[in-house]
Order: sequence, then structure tokens, then C-alpha cells
Amino acid sequence: MASIDLDKMLAKIKSTQWALSDIDWDAPGAELITEEQWPKLKEFMADLMWIEHVGARAFAALAKKAPTDTLREIYSYFHAEEQRHANAEMALMRRWGMLEGDEIPEPNVNLRIIIEWLDRFADEMPVYVLGTVVPMLEIALDGALCTFLLETVKDPVCHQAFEKINDDESRHLGVGFTVMEMQGRSASYIKMVQMMARVMDPRLILGIASYMPLLNKMRDNVIAMGLPEEKLYKAMQKFERIGGRTEEGRRNPWFQLIKQHGRWVTNRSNKVYHVPVDALVKITGMVPRKALPAVPSWVKELTYEPTATR
Amino acid sequence: MSTTEDSKKTAKPKAPRKKAAAARKTTARRKSTARKKAPEKPLSVLIVGAGFAGLGMAIRLKQAGIEDFIILERGNAVGGTWRDNQYPGAACDIPSNLYSYSFAPNPNWSRSFSGSEEILDYVHHLVAEFGLEKHIRFEQNVAELRFDETKGIWTATTDKDVVFTGRAAVMAQGPLANCSFPAITGIEDFKGKKIHSARWDHDYDFSGKNVAVVGTGASGIQIIPELVKVAKHVKVFQRTPGWVMPRPDFSTPEWNKLLFRKVPASQQAMRELLYWSHESMALAVIWNSPLTRIAERIGKWHLRRQVKDRWLRRQLTPDFTIGCKRVLVSNDYYPALQKDNAKLITWPIARISEEGIRTVEGIEHQVDCIVFATGFDVSHSGTPFPVLGRGGRVMGDDWKGGAQAYKSINVSGYPNLFLTFGPNSGPGHNSALVYMESQLEYALKGIRKIVGEDLKMLDVREDAQQRFNKSIQKRLAKTNWNSGCKSWYLTEDGFNATMYPGFATQYATQMSEFKEEDYQTA
Repeated sequence: MASIDLDKMLAKIKSTQWALSDIDWDAPGAELITEEQWPKLKEFMADLMWIEHVGARAFAALAKKAPTDTLREIYSYFHAEEQRHANAEMALMRRWGMLEGDEIPEPNVNLRIIIEWLDRFADEMPVYVLGTVVPMLEIALDGALCTFLLETVKDPVCHQAFEKINDDESRHLGVGFTVMEMQGRSASYIKMVQMMARVMDPRLILGIASYMPLLNKMRDNVIAMGLPEEKLYKAMQKFERIGGRTEEGRRNPWFQLIKQHGRWVTNRSNKVYHVPVDALVKITGMVPRKALPAVPSWVKELTYEPTATR
Repeated sequence: MSTTEDSKKTAKPKAPRKKAAAARKTTARRKSTARKKAPEKPLSVLIVGAGFAGLGMAIRLKQAGIEDFIILERGNAVGGTWRDNQYPGAACDIPSNLYSYSFAPNPNWSRSFSGSEEILDYVHHLVAEFGLEKHIRFEQNVAELRFDETKGIWTATTDKDVVFTGRAAVMAQGPLANCSFPAITGIEDFKGKKIHSARWDHDYDFSGKNVAVVGTGASGIQIIPELVKVAKHVKVFQRTPGWVMPRPDFSTPEWNKLLFRKVPASQQAMRELLYWSHESMALAVIWNSPLTRIAERIGKWHLRRQVKDRWLRRQLTPDFTIGCKRVLVSNDYYPALQKDNAKLITWPIARISEEGIRTVEGIEHQVDCIVFATGFDVSHSGTPFPVLGRGGRVMGDDWKGGAQAYKSINVSGYPNLFLTFGPNSGPGHNSALVYMESQLEYALKGIRKIVGEDLKMLDVREDAQQRFNKSIQKRLAKTNWNSGCKSWYLTEDGFNATMYPGFATQYATQMSEFKEEDYQTA
């Protein structure tokens, strides 16, 4: 993927905004969700919604650290757009009767840990750590999950919403890969040393320790819902393919690290990686919800209502 | 603080409030008495604008014995920005004892930071006290100012084709006089009430209304706490959080007012104290120094003390060096945002719709009224009306690359013309009126020279102006204003035509010397 002009991209982002009220959430088609689909879809949508929301918070951190005004503004928009996706997905859940009252779907423990980590440490992370992890999450989870969803759900409103969401996501990925290439333009050795210094940061180690089981947990969840494992892996390999397309991209040490990690995740026979990480998933699954700190207030900004007076 | 002999002699510490109401009645809605044809003999001075600057100039002219001048005011009352900015909570963020003229002290300020109404009373007091009323021509909106080189006369033509002439002209129309609704997509679609902070609608009843406030600058943070008290719900749309410092605002005890009345020197001493304490702030606000870090710590402490929620605190934490934009002062802004009927929205605005404001997170925030606290139309490269100088040159054209002047007050090619709040005269840390007094004294020197020596032309040399600007831009490059944030101080290209890069004392020194060799005369 060739690098994009970020100023033009910002103008494009501003001119292609949409709102929840652009979609008729009461239009016919909700009945196309089968009884068999419903419980699995509920879990699936909750996970998807939380991934979008977590992605939103990561973009908020990126906006704080972005090296240029244009990129800062782009990330501010992406932060809001990911929130819009989460809101739209909640609106779909409500349409399908998956929300009770005003309740926000409960995030799983791994997500709760990631939320906590993002809240405490994301703003302290260098821009290129999240700048590389976020495209991976978007391409792998978002990409694979959205494709799967559209293949299995016939409701036209769902297709209408995801057409808009996917348009946004393609811009997010375009910027994501451009930024990764920007990072790869300077000397690799220096970047590698700087990166190693960052990797030693205990806050980042905590982040990695939260991110790895989250990926495995999500993999287990989506497979349980019927998504072929290969589709997820294929999406993850897309990250390697696009990110490594240019020399600058390949020279970005964070790309190399995330790419390598992606290879471990997609190789089920890699016991050295999967045995301890799966164990972590099990351990975190045993953490009682009450032991987790209260969710930060940014989580409470989620809403399925297209309009708000308060 | 520099004052001239004249100003010291004529200081009259009298109470403005007593005469204010009467003054307002007499000055308001006064009709023009000008003739369509210019009088045979030009006046000595034409002043454009009856705000602080224009009235201050008039007072100093009178004190200097120059009586044949007029003030052309486009409105029907005096007061300029303080007449226009009467929104709830409007107040000055500089202590009143410093935000007033040293040649017209007011011992009766009710608070350390007075509200706009009291400041406007003070302005009316100036009119009454110094007998300025007869000099003011209301509802005369100047549409063009043109210099006649052969006669050495400035001609002001109003939008109703009324003509006034003067040997010298003072542009005192104010830098913050014009405002408009911001160019947000869909703003014309909104069916509810739209109010600009500088054109407040006092008849609109906010009680029981859902209100949006766009903008969290100096006006926004004063309006919001007042609206939260009366409106049903207030949504505050913030683009960039500013640095908000605590506001040491106290009501003035009666004994203090009495002391200032009986012993004017005590008020002068207070003014000096305030002046020097503000001067010291320059070290934190104008340049990036260890004091800047201390000021930022005070700002963060203020935020931490008043806002307990981590995310809200993050939303309100500025990401630019303090001083880069106007430093805000408030004790009640942060608490107001946390009231049950208030909410801070930091999502970017996507557009305005018929019912409210759509933000990028996809939600339409429906409201009855939108208050735009979005500031003023500040021109960095033009003039509010065409100003034509020697050989028909147009100041707006000369300023296309950014406004430039000599010592902020004269522009080469535009003889006998004096600017107030001209290019690079803005303070970031001290009272604007302190800077204004220096400008008035300088203009007075020039006018005296023109009138006294019967000059047709007193024009600053091009090379002197260029030398001055080269030096000022070099100094500006090292300031916080030019450190990377976007603000109304800068043009889109980042050129700073607004601020003075130094202490008020430096500015006063710059203005105290009238270098005749920098001018050509005829």
C-alpha cells in the first residue's frame, strides 16, 4: 500500500461523516435473525462492540502523541468514529432485542483488563507502539469478524450499517499502514535499540501480558460462534502482507515484532506460545468480576440512541 | 508603569457609578449631527471608535488642550467591546485596579475582577467626567478612510456617505469588535435559537431549555457556569482545552474603597503591586522558562483539585505550553461542568442539523439553543474598512502577507495616522490598558507635532518600519505563542501579527521615545 497524503485524507474523513440517525433502525429485516443465531450473535456483537470501543480509546491515546497536527486531528476523528461503530453495533443489538433496558453489554474479563490498562497507561505509550498494534487488531479481529457477520446475517439494516463502518475502517487501515511506514523511514538500528528500551518498560510489558490472552480469548470466542479459524488467520496474515509491502514498512521494528507475534498466534502447533497464553486466558477467566476496578467513565459514553437531549 | 506629567496632574479619583446611569442615558441613541458635506476647516483629529481606546485618546487630547476632535462611533452607545459583551458572567480577567486608566482611577470597584456591567459603568463615567459626549458622533459607521497628500488631510466617509475630515486620524475601532457565527457545516439549517456571546440576546429565557455551548475560551468559561444555573441541560462542545488558573476574586470591603477615596496614593500603590506581579507572569507565559513549568503545575493542581474523574481530567488537560493561547482564569468553570445538568463533549463536531449538533461519534445532540462562544473575527492581514494612504495605496494590500507597523502605531505610507491595538501590541500577561496608555501618549506626541508644527505629513520611514519588524519577528520566534499551537494570535501560516514579545515595561520604553529621525515630514 502506497503512503497516502494525510492532509487529503483528513479532508476526506471530514466530508464523509455519517450519524446513527442516517439509518432507520426500525426498518424491516430484524426478523431475519434466526432463533439459532440469536444467542451466538448476542455474544459475538458484544465482543465486536467492545473491540471497537477499546480501539476508540487507543486512538484517543494516539491523538495525544501524534507527531503532527494533521495526524493528531485524524486520530481524534478515528477515536470518535470507533465510538460511532460501537454505538451503531449497540443499536443493532437493541434492534435485535439483545439489550435489556439501558444496559451496556458486559465486557469479558480480558477486555476489562485491557480497558484498565488503556485507561492507566495508553497515554504514556509511544505513538508507534499503539500505531502498530491498532492496525493489527483492526485488520484481524474487526476485518475477520465483520466479514463473517455479513456472511451470516441477512438483516439489510446490518448490511447498511456495516457498509458505512467498513468505509471508515478502510481509511483507518490506510492511515495505520502509512504511519507504520513513516516510522520505518529512519535508521533501523537506532529504532531497534529505542524499541528494546520501550519493551523493557513495565507498563508495556503489562500491556503485552493483557493483549496476548485477549487475542487468544477472542479467537476461542469467534471459533465457538462458527467462524472458521483459517479466516481469522488469513486476516492476520493480511497485516503482514500489507504492512511489509514497502521497504519502509518492513524496516519498522514494531511491525516486525507484531508480525512475528501474528505468526505465533496463527500457528496452533507453536506450543511455546499457546500453552502459556491459553493458561493466562484460563487464569484471567477465574478472576472474579468484583475484584476488577470500576470501569472508567469513558466507557459510560457508549449509547445506542441516535439522538440525545442529556 | 509610565504616565506623563499631564496624566498625573489630572487624575481624578471620583466614583463612576454615580454619573454612569445618567451618562448612559445621555449618550445612548444620540443621532448624528454631521453634514453630508465635509466642513471647510478640518478638525485636528478624527477618532474612529468610542471604546476604551477612542475615549482614552479623547481624554488625553483634552488634557493636552486639543479640543477640536470628534469620535465616530458606529453604534448608538459608548463602550466598544464591553458594550457588546454583556453575556451572563462576562467579566475581565485582569484585576480592575489594573484594567482601568491610571489617569482616571476608580476607587469604588466592587470586586477584584469586575463584571462587564461595572466596567461599562466606568466607561460611561469617563465620558461624563471628561465631557466627551459633545465630541461623539453616534451611528457613524466609517466605510473608508482616505489621506489627501496635497492637503495633508484624512477624510472619513461613513456608510451613509457622511464625510468628516481631520489632520490626524486615530484608528480605535478595536481588535475584538467584529464577530460572526463560525463556519460549521449546516449552521443555517438549525431551527432553534442561535446566540453569539458578543451579541447576547437578553430577552431569551434559558430556563427549562436544553442548551449547547460551542467554544471553551475566555467567554465560554464565563458563560457556562451562569447557564448551568438556569438551563435545563447544558452541553459544552470543546475543541481544545485551555489552561485554566485559579481566580483570586474577592469583593472589595468598604474600608478599602474609603481608603482609595481618601488616600489616592494607596490605590496607586495597589496598581503598582498588581502591575509588577503581572509583569513577573511574563516569564512564565511569554517565554518557555522554569516558571512556565511552575505555572503549568498550578494549572494542573487547579484541575486535579476541582475534577476527580480521571477521564474528565484528561479531556480538560491542555496539550500545549501554557501561554501559547490565552490563559484562562476561573474558579467555577470546572465545577459547573460536573453539575448533573451539564456535560462536556469533546467529540469533533460533524455538522449542525435542524435539531442540534451532530458529533463524529454518530450522535445528534438535540438542543433548543446554541450559544457560540467562538470569539471574534480578528484580522491579521486587513483593516475593518479600506484605508488609503499616499498615492492611493491600500493598507489591506500592504498587509496581505501579515499586518506590520512601526512600534505597532504607525504604518509607512499612511501619514498622520495612529493605530491603537495595532500589529504586535497585544499583551499576554498584563492589562491591555497599560499598553494602551503607552500608545495614547505616543499618538499624542505625534499629533502635537503635526498640529504644533503645522505639518502636512508625518510619515514613518519604510526602512525604520522594516528594521522594527525584523527585530520583533526575531524576538517572537522565541516565544510560547510561536511554539506550535494554533491560536487567534497567529495567521493560518503561523505569522504573529498580534502580540508584543516582551514585558509591558519594555513596550512602555519602546513607546516613550519618539525618534524623529525615523519619520519624514512635510
